Amino acid sequence: MLYILSRHLLRLSTMSVRAPRSLNPLLVWGFLLWALSYMGVRIALEAAVGGLGPVRMLLALAPLPFFLMWLVGLIREARGMDELQRRIQFEALGLAFPLTLVLVMTLGLIEDARPLDRANWSFRHVWQLLVLFYVIGLFVARRRYRYEA
Amino acid sequence: MKTRLRDLRGERGWSQADLAERLGVSRQTVNSIETERYEPSLSLAFKIAAVFGQPIEGIFTPETRQA
Repeated sequence: MLYILSRHLLRLSTMSVRAPRSLNPLLVWGFLLWALSYMGVRIALEAAVGGLGPVRMLLALAPLPFFLMWLVGLIREARGMDELQRRIQFEALGLAFPLTLVLVMTLGLIEDARPLDRANWSFRHVWQLLVLFYVIGLFVARRRYRYEA
Repeated sequence: MKTRLRDLRGERGWSQADLAERLGVSRQTVNSIETERYEPSLSLAFKIAAVFGQPIEGIFTPETRQA
């Protein structure tokens, strides 16, 4: 789902009428392999496969190489964007990053004030809000440069 | 910044997509420059000037502030 979201987000931010170019294979395969390995490792760890100690840690780090593949693909896509598309991305991230920062820091204070339910408020759940804030930022930035006659 | 980009493009019968193709940018970028919501970088301004065979000052003029 994140792959589909990132693909649509890239298309939304470019809004080009040129023939859609194929996405960088690193971007596509990196994301797919990272997502699959992440889910697989998570299932394995929650099923207590591999016992304790270094094996579990190695499993936890196993998806990282695929994430790096995806990251390289993202960087190459960004380099292929024109200057306005990069500005839109910059403005979107310029909104998402501070919002996420404030959210995480506020949650930290709330946790000091009162213990939060880890099942709902772990980093695993909070990071998804970064995606939401990025989408909001992208929407706001795109509206500034929307097509006008 | 004011621009004559739309007029110059129209004189040549180019669509925004045509101009975007020649400049190596997206149509959204051309549209945003023409509607004066986006100021191009210096390198893009030079490309635009080269495509139309005019100096940059002939295409882009700064907005003058009224006293």
